[in-house]
Amino acid sequence: MVEKFKEWYVNRHAYAKQWKERTGGKVIGTFCTYVPEEILVAAKMLPVRVIGSHEPQDVTEPHIFGMFCPFCRDALAQGLKGRFQYLDGVVLAHSCIHFRQTFNSWRIHLPVEFSYYIPMPNTVQTPHARSYHKGEVEKFQAALQEYIGRPITGEDLDRGIRILNRNRRLLRQVYEYRKLDSPPLTGEEAMYMAVTSQFIDKEEHSDVLEAVLKELPGRKLPRDPGIRLMAVGSENDDAEFFKMVESVGGTVVIDEQCAGSRYFWNESVPNGDRMAAIANRYLDRPPCPVKDYPSHSRFAHVLNLAKDYRAQGAIIMQEKFCDPHEGDNPRLKKFLEENGIPTLSLEFDSTNPLGPFRIRVEAFLETIRGEELF
Amino acid sequence: MAEMQEYWRWTEYDWHSPEIEWRRGKRIAAGIDVGSVSSQALVLVDGQIFAFSNLRTGSNSPDSAHKAINGALKDTGMELSNIKYTVGTGYGRVNVPFANRAITEIACHARGANFMAGPKIRTVLDMGGQDCKAIHCDERGKVSNFLMNDKCAAGTGRGMEVMADLLSIPIKDIGDLSYQVDQEPQPVSSTCVVFAKSERVSLLLGRIGVEDQFFITGGIAKNPGVVKRLEKELGIQAVKSKYDSQIAGALGAALFADTLLQKGA
Repeated sequence: MVEKFKEWYVNRHAYAKQWKERTGGKVIGTFCTYVPEEILVAAKMLPVRVIGSHEPQDVTEPHIFGMFCPFCRDALAQGLKGRFQYLDGVVLAHSCIHFRQTFNSWRIHLPVEFSYYIPMPNTVQTPHARSYHKGEVEKFQAALQEYIGRPITGEDLDRGIRILNRNRRLLRQVYEYRKLDSPPLTGEEAMYMAVTSQFIDKEEHSDVLEAVLKELPGRKLPRDPGIRLMAVGSENDDAEFFKMVESVGGTVVIDEQCAGSRYFWNESVPNGDRMAAIANRYLDRPPCPVKDYPSHSRFAHVLNLAKDYRAQGAIIMQEKFCDPHEGDNPRLKKFLEENGIPTLSLEFDSTNPLGPFRIRVEAFLETIRGEELF
Repeated sequence: MAEMQEYWRWTEYDWHSPEIEWRRGKRIAAGIDVGSVSSQALVLVDGQIFAFSNLRTGSNSPDSAHKAINGALKDTGMELSNIKYTVGTGYGRVNVPFANRAITEIACHARGANFMAGPKIRTVLDMGGQDCKAIHCDERGKVSNFLMNDKCAAGTGRGMEVMADLLSIPIKDIGDLSYQVDQEPQPVSSTCVVFAKSERVSLLLGRIGVEDQFFITGGIAKNPGVVKRLEKELGIQAVKSKYDSQIAGALGAALFADTLLQKGA
């Protein structure tokens, strides 16, 4: 069953088109993982996260700067190349300026029926963010109701919360297996699993996760896991990179990135106020560096993950020109190293030089392992 | 018509010890460093340097590896089959057909530098044909941290060869000649080769930090123009060694092979 996620990842556009034909529902492109998907699911829509394809492209130059992060350019290129023509709408919850301009460019050049910008605060730590963001989430709900021409009821919202939470919980249960001495799934497989939850129908995705959970206790990989690694970064879904790392003596056992654990780590906690539960979930989730000030809660979270999953080293995957991460990384690197986790920093583009990356990864593994050579 | 001089061409050579009687040796280990520009093979007999060669890398790694080992074994009476364990390293490390194992040149240069310049070496700079690595290591030559230049190969060995041709100056003379000027020339643009070298390398070392003692390996270490400017920039003298800086990678690889033999490989 684990193979299903890769199949979904590879055929993600075909899946969305078929979903639309099958259900007659609306497909909404989500920009950034801060979009409150509970409400989209409550409205019986399919949220599809807009991600890139890791191919060279030459279509975004007239629209956004070359010094915008590769993920922005790769994502916009997919739209300009017509790969997301099935989208009925697009939504951005504010995170960084690069992606906001990418979203605006998308709205100008790729008009859709419904487009919405959620001005989510970046200072999520202030108490004012709670009431403010709840209000914004309510406005988003109202806009969606107007678009679909019917109310999104409390019952709908409860279902949305339940469906999202189920998927999050199952993903965490699968991640638990990565704590084992010999994890029954590779980092590459886990990446496909986490990233597909961002664009496959959540119920369908959860059903497969449940089947996988039955399979994992008996699953043995025909490989020595080698050095246990953590991947730290942003939207890093470069499968070829993970494959390479796991072919030279390492296994990625945990990640802290928005293509992975940051997306699903916490749940919406219903407490009588549904909209507050949804809004707070996004304020309280493991933050993107752009939403992690004035205090830095992220560093402690990264270290806890590294310890829980017994990572022997961390690969810091810096998306080129991603300023929020670039601001965090020098201190994060120092922090991890002071706490006994060696790091390797690599700069990622939409396409990456696997050969040069390979020698760095191999040498990194040798510095961790290596005693048998002396 | 006058024969065209190849200014870039550096001397390829091989050497073997007239003193070591390899047939009495218990452990025969080899290291093969197939780099982007040059290839070396080095043979250790009971941990002592017995023979090595230093050649230009050809169009494919397996051939270059064979040529290098044949060069090292020339006139020694030793054959490939006498070598008990071989470690491949360098850019072509996974394409050394007779190697038992591949180890990165980062690990090998640190180990080689440890042998060549002693256990007090803590910072190694490998300036090679197409890239540059700053390495920290412990008293055994085990790497503790490293940094490589990322995208640009400007100012590395191959760049120096191109410049030698362009200026019609034999490559071995270029470093000394660079001091026969009254004042340092204006820097060329930061993306360009020869003079960008010391600036770029010192930045790289600045990011990882230089710890005493400091040693330079790789072909560019033979260019006094680069070495002296680098020392001035860093305010630290590089440790000198009697060995050819270019064999550090192959030496490190052979030392690993020797250790693995001792451990029963």
